[in-house]
Amino acid sequence: MSSDEIIRLREIQKIYDTGANSVHALAGVTLSIARGEYVAIMGPSGSGKSTLMHIVGCLDTPTSGEYVLAGERVSEMTSWSLARVRNKHIGFVFQTFNLLPRASILRNVELPMMYGGISRAKRRQRAADMLARLGLGDRLKNLPSQLSGGQRQRVAIARALVNDPSIVLADEPTGNLDTRTGEEILGIFDELNSQGHTVILVTHDHAVARRTQRVITLVDGQVVRAIAA
Amino acid sequence: MTLLESVVDGIVDIQAHKGRTMLQAVGVVLGVASVVTTMALADSGRRRSMEFFAETGGLRKVLIVNQPSRDEVKTALQLRNVGLSYDDAEALRAIPGVTQVDPIANARVLVSRGDYQKEWNLDGVTPDYQTVYKFYPGKGRFITQDDLANASRVCVLGETAARTFFGSDEPVGKTVYLDGVGMTVVGVMQRKEYFFNRGTFNALEWMNRKVFVPITAVHKRFTGDPDRKVSYVNTMIDKPDNIKKTADEIRAVLKRRHRGITDFEVWDRASRLEQNQQQNQMLNMVFLLAGAVSLLVGGIVIMNILLASFQERVREVGVRKALGANGLHIMAQFLVESVLVTLLGGGLGLVLGFGFTQAVAALIDQPATITPHMAMMGFLTSVSAGIFFGFYPAVKAARLNPVEALRYE
Repeated sequence: MSSDEIIRLREIQKIYDTGANSVHALAGVTLSIARGEYVAIMGPSGSGKSTLMHIVGCLDTPTSGEYVLAGERVSEMTSWSLARVRNKHIGFVFQTFNLLPRASILRNVELPMMYGGISRAKRRQRAADMLARLGLGDRLKNLPSQLSGGQRQRVAIARALVNDPSIVLADEPTGNLDTRTGEEILGIFDELNSQGHTVILVTHDHAVARRTQRVITLVDGQVVRAIAA
Repeated sequence: MTLLESVVDGIVDIQAHKGRTMLQAVGVVLGVASVVTTMALADSGRRRSMEFFAETGGLRKVLIVNQPSRDEVKTALQLRNVGLSYDDAEALRAIPGVTQVDPIANARVLVSRGDYQKEWNLDGVTPDYQTVYKFYPGKGRFITQDDLANASRVCVLGETAARTFFGSDEPVGKTVYLDGVGMTVVGVMQRKEYFFNRGTFNALEWMNRKVFVPITAVHKRFTGDPDRKVSYVNTMIDKPDNIKKTADEIRAVLKRRHRGITDFEVWDRASRLEQNQQQNQMLNMVFLLAGAVSLLVGGIVIMNILLASFQERVREVGVRKALGANGLHIMAQFLVESVLVTLLGGGLGLVLGFGFTQAVAALIDQPATITPHMAMMGFLTSVSAGIFFGFYPAVKAARLNPVEALRYE
């Protein structure tokens, strides 16, 4: 594994046992993503795209195969250790934002640091700084419902970045936004990548995928193409 | 994540669901209210009976009564015994720990004074009677050792007896005839009163109807009894810790004097109070049980609502897990919430219980208070209910698979 390799998947299989017959969601995926890379994962629905994202995001473990993330073998970790790895290494951005509706946006951004055991004062400061960087410095006390879709996704991005993760993993981040706002959000990802962040976009939209350096296409649980865009 | 953070989150959530929270808390409110009210009233009742005992001589009083054998055919020995006598009483004075001995001999006599004539009960007593019953003359004096030694023709009247015999006349110094024997009234006792609850019945009126004479005078002038039999003997023990031991000693001495036959009974009030309290405890148990059932139902309601509202929180759990929360974080969050609800319920229950207690106390005219100890107990039970019934939903939440939780719509 070269030093600038952040993700390495080797022969990853994920088999869902549904009683009578088992489904191979991932049938031996091998791929590697370098530090600072900008990657899109594409594929039709049922291709195993979501399963791959869950495994890469350490929300799920593979049935077999090896996954090394930032030098840690996560494929055989307990759910306990996975929680720590997610907290430290992964910044999630979801299609539906997934902000806690009853917490202020400041508190939403503080959440990952809370689980990371960072002190209150430090947390507050870092969350406020991050929100300011994303142009929401004057909305800290607002509830998510008081913000527009684009603003909400900015909050989600702030939350994803605040623990300084190894990878930013975005699942259809523009799916719930209009084209103009979507463009704006994608601009943020472009910028993050140019600042050196490793960004992985999961999408079915070719226009989105084209902005990245590399598109990984999945069909029937296998990587069919991994080409530079 | 510190516990404080969970508490903050919990408060935010409770505020967001006021209706749901109140519904959850109501069972706990009633349960805690019922538990603390029961404890307060039981405690008040206990203090009240102690007070009554104190008013009539306190716990240190030990009563010895005749208890003749109920055998159909009596043995010669049993027949030879005459029961408790004045000499038995005098013998008890030698027992260490016995501070007062007051034998009482009753007689039924015809009282006449002017136009008034009626059968009346007579109490032959010793000077110790006053201290044993905490019953003192309000006017004149009580029976003295001199009266005892001389079997003097003197008597002391209870307040009601004095009014009955003399009306508005001053009784002290006047003569009243008992079975034709002229006795000089040397004193009138203070009036005794004790009203249970709001009743108009004076539980101590019997004391005001007493007519006291020297016990020796009863034997010499009214019954002419050569055995100098007594109806019962009151004794006082120096301190409560000695009651059991001294009562046993009294039994031993009397048994020896009665030729090995137990034809008497020694009642110490400490064991009677114990019996009373056991009976009260039964009643308290019923109320505490009602409180416990209410708490149980309250707990189940909490669990039910936690489980019902679980659906809307599955996604939240998924998000939190994606951000790095582990099972313990999630469990703490859910537990803190149910504990907060029960604490709220416990607090309101205390307030309600305080109201109940005041209301019942006013109704039965008997002061009752919720002590800090009881409040503490109330809180502890509600918090334990919170932890107990919050546990299952908390574990369920903690075990959610993050992928499925995030996918949950």
